[in-house]
Parts: sequence; structure tokens; C-alpha cells
Amino acid sequence: MIHTIKYSLLPGFERTGVLAPILPVTFINGKYEMSSFALVDSGAEYGLISTIIAEALNIDWIKLPKKQGFTASGSFVYHTAKNIEAEVFGHNFRLSLNIAEGINAFKCILGRNDIFKQAKITFEGCKNQFYIEFRNLN
Amino acid sequence: MRQDKIDFIRLLKGYRKGWVAISHDFKRVVFHGENLKETMKKAKDVKEKLYYFPVGESYSNFVGI
Repeated sequence: MIHTIKYSLLPGFERTGVLAPILPVTFINGKYEMSSFALVDSGAEYGLISTIIAEALNIDWIKLPKKQGFTASGSFVYHTAKNIEAEVFGHNFRLSLNIAEGINAFKCILGRNDIFKQAKITFEGCKNQFYIEFRNLN
Repeated sequence: MRQDKIDFIRLLKGYRKGWVAISHDFKRVVFHGENLKETMKKAKDVKEKLYYFPVGESYSNFVGI
């Protein structure tokens, strides 16, 4: 099934009209589960979440090794949680999540090594929407 | 083909701070709390999937501009 998702307008962007490709996602870590919204980011190598979301998933991120990452806007400190389960539109898969320190609580990104390997994602900017079709891996 | 639209402007209108729990169909806010833990606690007996999102923040770095 192909899911069509309209780009989302977030509060504060009404005047500029900047839209974002956002997916609903559920992260599962054992018996802990947390659903939120993730930016679909082909520029991100791995998924990323805030420490707030990590703590809701009972991930003891402080004990995970500290690393430094880089973005277009600078560097950040993160910790990698491996083998976390994610679910998007009924499709389940496992991923590594980078947990970044000092970022906004809402920060949640899916990237090339997770969602882009699970599905064919097509962006149609002229219609402000994107399509996601999960691969049948069986 | 399934179509979805998440209207954050409408959903988050009127909320100044804290976290909200949004219904599985993205149409309404079901719970609101001062923080994520409190909001999730309010929703613990709810069977439907709820999506959590903070409110009252500047989302300027949600996307790269």
C-alpha cells in the first residue's frame, strides 16, 4: 500500500510557509513504547531522537558511549541505542537510534539507514506531499 | 492508497506549554500534561495508539532552513 502524507506546517512557520515531511512513528524498547512524529530526512545517516524521548523508552542513554556527530549547522554529542524497534503504518523494523544531548524534546528524525532502507519514499514537492511504500521483505 | 495529513496548527492551537497526546487518526488532542511523563501517565489506560508531541516550543530547528 502506498501512503500519501501531506507535508506538515508547524506552529511558528505560518508566515514563512515552511513545510516538513513528517511521519508518525512508534518506537518500542521491550515493554516500553512511545509514539511521536519524525522528520523524514534523507540527509540523516541514522535516526535520531532527543533524550526526553529516549527516557520515555527507558533507554539508559547516559551509560551508552558518547560520540560526536556533525550537521550542516554544527556538531552535537550523541549516544547510540541499537536494536530498537520502530513501527510506521503497521510496518515494523529494527534500527539504531542516535540520542542527542541538548536538543529540543520534539527532535525525532528517521534517515537513510532506517526508513529509507525499509521503504520507497518519493517526495513530490510541487504538491507538498510525499509517498511511502514499504518493501515486502518476505 | 492511504492519505494522511497532520494539522499541527489546528491540533496545537491553544496549548502554551507541556506535551499533548494526539489521537491515532491525528484529528484531536486527547490528553495534555505539563511534561511527557505526566501526559503518558494520563493515557496509560487508553488502548488506542496516541502520539506525543511537545507544545509551546519554537520548532524552528525541526527542519533545516
